[in-house]
Amino acid sequence: MSTDPLKQRITMLRYRPWRGELRGPWSGVLAIARVSLGQMFRRKLFWGLFGFSALIFLFYFFGQYLGVFMQSQLTGETGTVRLGSGVGAVTVRPENMIQALTKTLKMNGSADTFANFIWFEGYILIIVLTLAGSVLVGNDFSHGSLPFYLSKPISRWHYMLGKCLAIGVFVNLMTTVPALLLFLQYGMVDEWSYYWDSFHLVVGILGYGLILTVSLSIILLAFATWLRKTVPMIMVWVSVFVLGRIVAKLIVDGLKFSPSWRLFDLWNDLYLMGASCLGIPLETMRPGPQPPFWQAWLVIGGLCAFCLLYLRRRIQAVEVVS
Amino acid sequence: MESLVELRNLTRQFGTFEALRGIDLKLPPGRIGLLGPNGAGKSTLLKILMGLLAPSSGEGTVFGIPLVPGADGEGNWQLRRLMGFMPEADALIPGMRGVDYVSLAGELYGMPRRDAQRRAHEVLSYLELEDARYRRLEEYSTGMKQRLKLAQALVHDPPALLLDEPTSGLDPAGRDAMLRLLLELGTDHGKSVIISTHLLADVEAVCERVVILYGGQVRGFGTVRELCASRQDRYRLQIQGDPSAFREELRLEGVEILSENDRGEMRVVVPAKWITRAFFALAENHGVVIRSLIRDDETLEELFFRTIEKK
Repeated sequence: MSTDPLKQRITMLRYRPWRGELRGPWSGVLAIARVSLGQMFRRKLFWGLFGFSALIFLFYFFGQYLGVFMQSQLTGETGTVRLGSGVGAVTVRPENMIQALTKTLKMNGSADTFANFIWFEGYILIIVLTLAGSVLVGNDFSHGSLPFYLSKPISRWHYMLGKCLAIGVFVNLMTTVPALLLFLQYGMVDEWSYYWDSFHLVVGILGYGLILTVSLSIILLAFATWLRKTVPMIMVWVSVFVLGRIVAKLIVDGLKFSPSWRLFDLWNDLYLMGASCLGIPLETMRPGPQPPFWQAWLVIGGLCAFCLLYLRRRIQAVEVVS
Repeated sequence: MESLVELRNLTRQFGTFEALRGIDLKLPPGRIGLLGPNGAGKSTLLKILMGLLAPSSGEGTVFGIPLVPGADGEGNWQLRRLMGFMPEADALIPGMRGVDYVSLAGELYGMPRRDAQRRAHEVLSYLELEDARYRRLEEYSTGMKQRLKLAQALVHDPPALLLDEPTSGLDPAGRDAMLRLLLELGTDHGKSVIISTHLLADVEAVCERVVILYGGQVRGFGTVRELCASRQDRYRLQIQGDPSAFREELRLEGVEILSENDRGEMRVVVPAKWITRAFFALAENHGVVIRSLIRDDETLEELFFRTIEKK
């Protein structure tokens, strides 16, 4: 600061009082969410991972298109089709391809299409959320930004809601939004009647998205609050989802124990909850056998409740003044 | 507004530990220093004033807003609208630019986004950070960070500022500049400033009033001038001649010599019922001339230590 008295006098003139109406704490929630999104969007790693998730979307997008196109063009034809020329040429049976796309991969605009699509997106989403957790929440603890937020006229719940909103945007950007685009696309390439005949699927997709948004943001917030730093966050978060799946698979598929042991696999639990929203029968779900839907709801609901209790205890405004 | 803070028999307990005990305090608007050693209850008092913590018992108002004992203190968010808080810790968001950080603070205080952005530029210019406002926060020096923290507390133009160790980590020039700025905000812009600090010199430089806390109780409160002048037993005298015999005689009479230098200046504390003329009589007996004799006030540091050692 200047020591020159004249300059000081000029500096003082620059201070102008602000007269305006202050809004309630809810406006702060949106500001927190917006800033959090900005923090993530600045990172190249995020865009790289988002690119991978877009590849899954494109796979489904063109798979659905190809399935419908082939059905419309080749129905009734038998025999083989030679694709390409020379050494690299392959001979395929069109009905086998249609079978693979629509029956095996379920790229047919059905409830299974969207459930499977979100299942596969989960692999990338879990990694993105690890990054989001350490950047958006872990940093607030490890760099001491929490007092900045909580010394303002907002409560810890407003802070958490702002962060959850930002996490929810990533979750939906990689699951619900592309799933809805796939729904729109299928109606366009198939028949217009698909939209109203299958409108319940839109509700199911939105329900699945809501489940993922609420549960993943709460669980992630609790993990990031607990672990704070990026490396432990990656290790534990990925372990929970990857090891959980391996353990569940070993117990249920290897040792042939009760399907309820599959509840160790958190992503599978979310998948079950989403499937119940989309109206998929339990018996047709893969990998099978699966535990009843209610058990998955109970596990995820209980985990979220535990995380909220932990967050209530851990994020406290009284930490503002050390 | 008659009083900024009014507390009556306020207590705060954490389990069986009493962090604040029977606090009675009426602070008028102005520049106030909150002094006390670690564990004195300063942080707890700040949290109560900010509405982050509710008192266990007693009553009080801050800006006329009542403090409700036993309630969820965090819910009293209206209080935090009326004050800007500058934390001691860095509390910065890595990767953000200075102007965005201050603007976010404005939005969290409830300002509309556009107003918050405009005001962030104004406040950063006022604090002479206009050249650094587009820099990432990691690139700020300690002095700049302190000013940035002040900017985020000032962005919504609150009537009061709560500052937790505002000069922590600053070099002498930065510290001087910060103190001058706080003084200007108080005197020229009518802001009430509450400074919680261990640094008595900061309080002396900025504050009109001081609250001394110790063991969860208020041990002293008043204007710095009144408190420091409250003792009438100190003198500053300058003598000419050999001081050794005079000094010895003073000691025998129960006068405590606080300090002296080779220019013949000494600061002394006299016993009760001391008559000022006794200095001259003693000086004459020992062939010493008293060139000046003035009543001396306590320094804030002496007052502080005397206050906390009193009980």
